[in-house]
Amino acid sequence: MQVIVDDLLTHYDLHGKGKLVVLLHGWGDSAKGLAGLQKELTVQYRVLSVDLPGFGSTQMPKTAWDLDDYARFVEHLLRKLEFQQPYAVIGHSNGGALAIRAVSLECLQPQRLVLLAASGVRTNNPTRRLIIKIIAKTGNAVTLWLPRRRRQALRKHLYGATGSDMLVVPELEDTFKKTVRQDVQGDAAAIDVPTLLIYAASDDAVPVADGRQYHSLIKGSRLEVVKNAGHFVHLDQPDKTVALIKEFLA
Amino acid sequence: MVYMETVAVIFGGRSAEHDVSIVTALASIIKPLELTKKYRVEAVYIAKDGAWYWDDKLKDIKLFTSGGIQDYLHRAQPASVQFDGGMMLVKASGIAGRKQTRKVDLVFPAMHGTYGEDGALMGLLDMTGIPYVGCGVSASAVCMNKVLAKKVALGCGLPVSDYMSFHKSFIERDASTLLKTILKRLTLPLFVKPAHLGSSIGITRATSETELRNALEVAAHYDDEVIVEEEVPNLIEVTLPIMGNDQPKPALLEQPMTKPEDFFDFDTKYLQGGKKGKGTAKGAQGYSQIPADLPKDLYKQAEELGLNVYRVMGCSGIARVDMLIDSKAKKAYFNEVNPLPGGLYAHNWNKAGVSNVELVERLISFAKERHAQRQSLATSFSTNYLQQF
Repeated sequence: MQVIVDDLLTHYDLHGKGKLVVLLHGWGDSAKGLAGLQKELTVQYRVLSVDLPGFGSTQMPKTAWDLDDYARFVEHLLRKLEFQQPYAVIGHSNGGALAIRAVSLECLQPQRLVLLAASGVRTNNPTRRLIIKIIAKTGNAVTLWLPRRRRQALRKHLYGATGSDMLVVPELEDTFKKTVRQDVQGDAAAIDVPTLLIYAASDDAVPVADGRQYHSLIKGSRLEVVKNAGHFVHLDQPDKTVALIKEFLA
Repeated sequence: MVYMETVAVIFGGRSAEHDVSIVTALASIIKPLELTKKYRVEAVYIAKDGAWYWDDKLKDIKLFTSGGIQDYLHRAQPASVQFDGGMMLVKASGIAGRKQTRKVDLVFPAMHGTYGEDGALMGLLDMTGIPYVGCGVSASAVCMNKVLAKKVALGCGLPVSDYMSFHKSFIERDASTLLKTILKRLTLPLFVKPAHLGSSIGITRATSETELRNALEVAAHYDDEVIVEEEVPNLIEVTLPIMGNDQPKPALLEQPMTKPEDFFDFDTKYLQGGKKGKGTAKGAQGYSQIPADLPKDLYKQAEELGLNVYRVMGCSGIARVDMLIDSKAKKAYFNEVNPLPGGLYAHNWNKAGVSNVELVERLISFAKERHAQRQSLATSFSTNYLQQF
């Protein structure tokens, strides 16, 4: 379905009956990426899954957004659909960082929070950041002679090779830069909502260490590490992930 | 050597249905036309920015599906079109500044939506004076405006479901009053649609006042005119592809296999290959029952209505008429006309015994027939009007 939020044509999926659960996808993903999880949860809950601006079928934001803009966008979406505060919010990856920030800003005030491989711990890997910075600077200098499109393709390839999502959606490069600068550990420390942290043992993008960090920051939180799963833990181990979430939300 | 007529297939365009147009052109028109071995087929692609390109490379669907089209557009020189004494495609040949040209004998438009299917391209082609496939300017313009089409049908005594239409400015100015006005006259659930777009883009089924308000905003985001239609109870949706000029012939009545609350949006129609989440066939081919499973008299009633709509709209060549049937009241209502059905609805014609090759050949023959009829009309006459000044 579609709705206009913040002057952006916004696509969302809404299914099921019962308490409202909001799903927030990660960077480069869309509501479709969480469709399996949504389907499982609709048995008991009314589940809203939205394509965040710039992803899926929702229009690009007109300026470079940070997590605060996305948080307000989700708040406005709920208001537009005339929903009260959701019972639960589930955020994957950058959607997890967004959920933390949105709760901190009180844009979302859920009774339960589930963070799936949530990012937002931005300072724990200085070596990787340094490598990306060096490649970026060197790459910029060395490829100046290339045609613009070739240069852009090479940049995308190099950033992808380093594990950076910056050019997954090239049009959102500035938004990505603003978003990844936002460390939400301070916001996490202020969360007083029952929180379930699910991290994947084989996640190369957001390590379990980030989950442990959040676990130490969010009072009373519960950390589950799922084996034989990568960053998309809900796709790699759907049964296990759904069972953990259902048990937590019950 | 036998002279081969040059047919230019024009597709793409500045429309929300740009991508659907590419599939229509490459799969349902260019391929069968080439199989006839009777025509020299030229692919003319209009990019989203409105620039025209003419190149055999544009006949390859992989160029579009792989995203390679962006690189192509970056490198390629746009083509131009000359209209002196017909239509001539012109582009740089790449050799010493020389131009490559090709005189076009007939145009096969494969454009959906704005600046193509709505009569804009047909107007341009009429000015060139060459024959082209499908509906003319006025039929295309009327059919592509859902409000105008309903008014024409009503004026000709054909049944349509209750509807209201509004300009975008009304929605922006005072949505609350507008909602009250709508709900005073029409009963939920309501379908809200942009007046000019096809392929189910921007359509919402609203079941509450909030959904109606949001649906109006969405439709107004796409179009400056919005139509709100009452849902027909006990609904069976059917669609009828029709071909011909003065003596139109129907294909088979087709029934989409969806529930009313699961109506055909763009995703269902083109991306999921049928019933939501369960489709296996790709594209628009796998979602419906052909022929529609209807009692004989109801089938006949809908077929008659479809043919009448085709005639009163002034359609020629090809079109597809969508109808809504109240299965309890056994009554068919006109819904809308699509003057260039996606993929020409070849899957339906195939079931009606018309192959893809036969389909494009017949359409070309209808185009020539209509062109000859128009050529025979007097378009000027002598007067002494100027001498009186």
